[in-house]
Amino acid sequence: MKKLLVFVLLLVFAFAFAGEPKKGGTLVIAYWGDPISFNPDAKIDDAGSGIYGCIFSRLVALDTDYNVIPDLAESWEVSEDGLTYTFHLRKGVKWHDGHPLTSADVVWTFKQIMSHKEAPANRHFRDVESVEAPDDYTVVIKLKKPYAPFLGFLAWYGTYIMPKHLYDITENGSPVDWLNNPHNQNPVGTGPFKFVEWVKGDHVTLEKNPDYFLGEPYLDRIVFKIIPDENTALQAFLNGEVDYDGNVSRAQIDTLKRVPGVVVYLKPGPSRYYMGFNVNRRESPFHDKKVRFAVAHALNREEIFKKAIKYGQVAEGFYTPAIPWAYNPNAKIPEYNPELAEKLLDEAGYPRKEDGYRFEVTLVYFQGQEWRDMSTIIKEQLDKVGIKVKLEEYEIAAYIEKVLKAGDFDLTVLDGFQGPDPDNLKIRVGTGGDVNVMGYSSKEVDDLLEKAGSISDKEKRRELYFKIQEILAEDLPIYPIAEVMYTYVHRDYVKGLPYQMAGVVAYNNYAKTWLDK
Amino acid sequence: MTAGPPAVFQGEWNVSTFTRYIIRRLISAGVMVYIVMTVNFFIIHAAPGDPVTIMAGIEQPSKEIIEALKKKYGLDKPLIYQYLKYMSNIIRGDLGYSYVYDQPSWTLISERILPTLVLTLSGSILAFVIGVYLAIFVSHLRLKFGETIASVISYILYATPSFWLALIMILVFSSKLKWFPTSGMFDLRHTYVGFRRFLDFLHHMVLPVTTLMLIQMPVFYRVTRASIVQNQNEEYVVTLTAIGVPKEKLFKKYIIKNAILPSITIFGITLGFSITGAALIEIVFAWPGMGRLMLDAIFRRDYQLLLGIYFLMALFISIAMIITDIVIALLDPRIRLT
Repeated sequence: MKKLLVFVLLLVFAFAFAGEPKKGGTLVIAYWGDPISFNPDAKIDDAGSGIYGCIFSRLVALDTDYNVIPDLAESWEVSEDGLTYTFHLRKGVKWHDGHPLTSADVVWTFKQIMSHKEAPANRHFRDVESVEAPDDYTVVIKLKKPYAPFLGFLAWYGTYIMPKHLYDITENGSPVDWLNNPHNQNPVGTGPFKFVEWVKGDHVTLEKNPDYFLGEPYLDRIVFKIIPDENTALQAFLNGEVDYDGNVSRAQIDTLKRVPGVVVYLKPGPSRYYMGFNVNRRESPFHDKKVRFAVAHALNREEIFKKAIKYGQVAEGFYTPAIPWAYNPNAKIPEYNPELAEKLLDEAGYPRKEDGYRFEVTLVYFQGQEWRDMSTIIKEQLDKVGIKVKLEEYEIAAYIEKVLKAGDFDLTVLDGFQGPDPDNLKIRVGTGGDVNVMGYSSKEVDDLLEKAGSISDKEKRRELYFKIQEILAEDLPIYPIAEVMYTYVHRDYVKGLPYQMAGVVAYNNYAKTWLDK
Repeated sequence: MTAGPPAVFQGEWNVSTFTRYIIRRLISAGVMVYIVMTVNFFIIHAAPGDPVTIMAGIEQPSKEIIEALKKKYGLDKPLIYQYLKYMSNIIRGDLGYSYVYDQPSWTLISERILPTLVLTLSGSILAFVIGVYLAIFVSHLRLKFGETIASVISYILYATPSFWLALIMILVFSSKLKWFPTSGMFDLRHTYVGFRRFLDFLHHMVLPVTTLMLIQMPVFYRVTRASIVQNQNEEYVVTLTAIGVPKEKLFKKYIIKNAILPSITIFGITLGFSITGAALIEIVFAWPGMGRLMLDAIFRRDYQLLLGIYFLMALFISIAMIITDIVIALLDPRIRLT
């Protein structure tokens, strides 16, 4: 009788899922590095952030196109004045240990972020006045002043909801800091996969959470196999030891494209390569705007892109086109015109000397083939108009000291994530911004950034960001080179990956992923 | 006095001189470890950057994050204060605290010790045995041809970068022949248990251990070989040959015994270093050893984790040296433990 029932059930399932995603199997991902811990909100942890999304959930999330989508909150409202955000939580969500999720967890998490200055999301909570829970399934956040990008940042880095019942603990009468909680090694979340084990330096194993609130995941298990070397990762992928190569280098893309059964998907990301001028230091020739324009005319970014970057696209404007609503296509980068460059340099008071050079500058960059290639080509191109470039390569720590802290450079090449909201321009071009290595300062830009960050009308914000890009095109503190391409490399039988499910699942959430084999 | 045939043990050291010797060596090792730690402490802190700034990165750094973390970990205090605090912790048996992982250094280190030693000890022991045996074998055969081949191979291996050899091993034995997996310690598609899991582990171990063996072997081969050649020209060999000791006996009983001593010294030092792992080989084979932990700690300026590893390294090497000296003294009565 029992057997018959099982048989009937199987039959029903077989019909119901004909052509539908298949259940079961283990997805093995070659992953580039070890997480720091499994506390998803406490510290900047790029390796961890690729795994957290499987275990934890946020209030709202970003999909791979940077749209804000519901996660633990199934809906939300923003008040007319832009000061009050009301979130309505899903009912019946359970932590992996069976404990129910309530608004108390959300409130506790956000209060922790607010009381920990070192938490990466802390700065986005700076204007939060209060976080309250009127009932078990409602969270109300009040801001001191309107802050339009709030929702985007809430869906981004270091905002995963954490289990209050496991973290709000005391030891010998004093509260245990969330950095020292034992669950940082053994996380409990509400995401599609449960934590199984973490063998440091070797792998992280997760198994499906059948009670996941967006539906039972198809995969039985996900294993993140940590392979720090790109070449080993490639061989492990080609030999079938892993299904997804999460540690691909640019140089491998051409090879991978030729392998049958392998999907190589390239997608422009909201990050870009650019060159920064040291506009702040008076001794630097780039203090003079005319010289900056001369350099821009002397550079051929088409060539830099083809020789050093290869994948992605040549930059045209002053913001990332991957966030289209804020991108101004009319604020253009000066075009390649070496004659004009020579003329401008003569006018600026830098004639060619006996040795053929006008002046010498240093270009500082950090270790890595792409940076070395980019810098070498820039050096060659500037050499032609009589600017002698000295290249200096540093490991990342020394680079931070020299460029970010001491400002001891003339030119530097870097990249950077521009999203999730153009408000992030504040840290790149705003006065005193954390990655404003150029030392650029424009009252007009600062005012516009402040204003654009405080209104919620997207149309009006767009106008302000357009204006900012026009000013940047006139002042030229940076010379954008190219847009960064994100690469996804996996076997063709891996379906339903987050990048293929835009609008449905959050970035790094494998709830809808399945194996067609 | 010329070195006579070291046939009879004529030493007179007894238990008490031996104990005194050990105590003296331990004290000097302690001083050595202390000096190493002090020098390391200041060298590490002199390197540009600090753990907190590097953690903040260049994507989205924030001055608030950096300051808050510096305060939390006491990195804002004067260096000399940090030094005294750290040394007093070490004396109390606390190896420090990792700023990056927020865990005691010892917790992070202890997780790596087993995979590290399994890899390095097997590699070094195999390299020692094979290298020394090869040298004896080649010398014994007295075939010019065989010796040339062995020398050329050992030269080539000696000059080969370990990470390159590691990659070639993967390309040949994993990708081409499919005999062994590329990397890691376990097959992650299966969850083996018990003996099957152990076999799986051994299967994953073959390539990294072989690579390490091939990289270390030439040293043992060359040193032993040179030592044999040198011994063959010693006066005692001439004398013993003259009084009619058979060549076979002369070689096996006297020459080998003397010629192996330098290799044992090197082997001792190699064992001392075994705790630090083999970073480049570990990276290529994705082996979760100490070398990777150390390299990571260097890049991230994780001061106390790094110092913890250095402490263990200094300790291990000191002990290995003491043991080596004792072993040598036992093997060679000309050397006295005084």
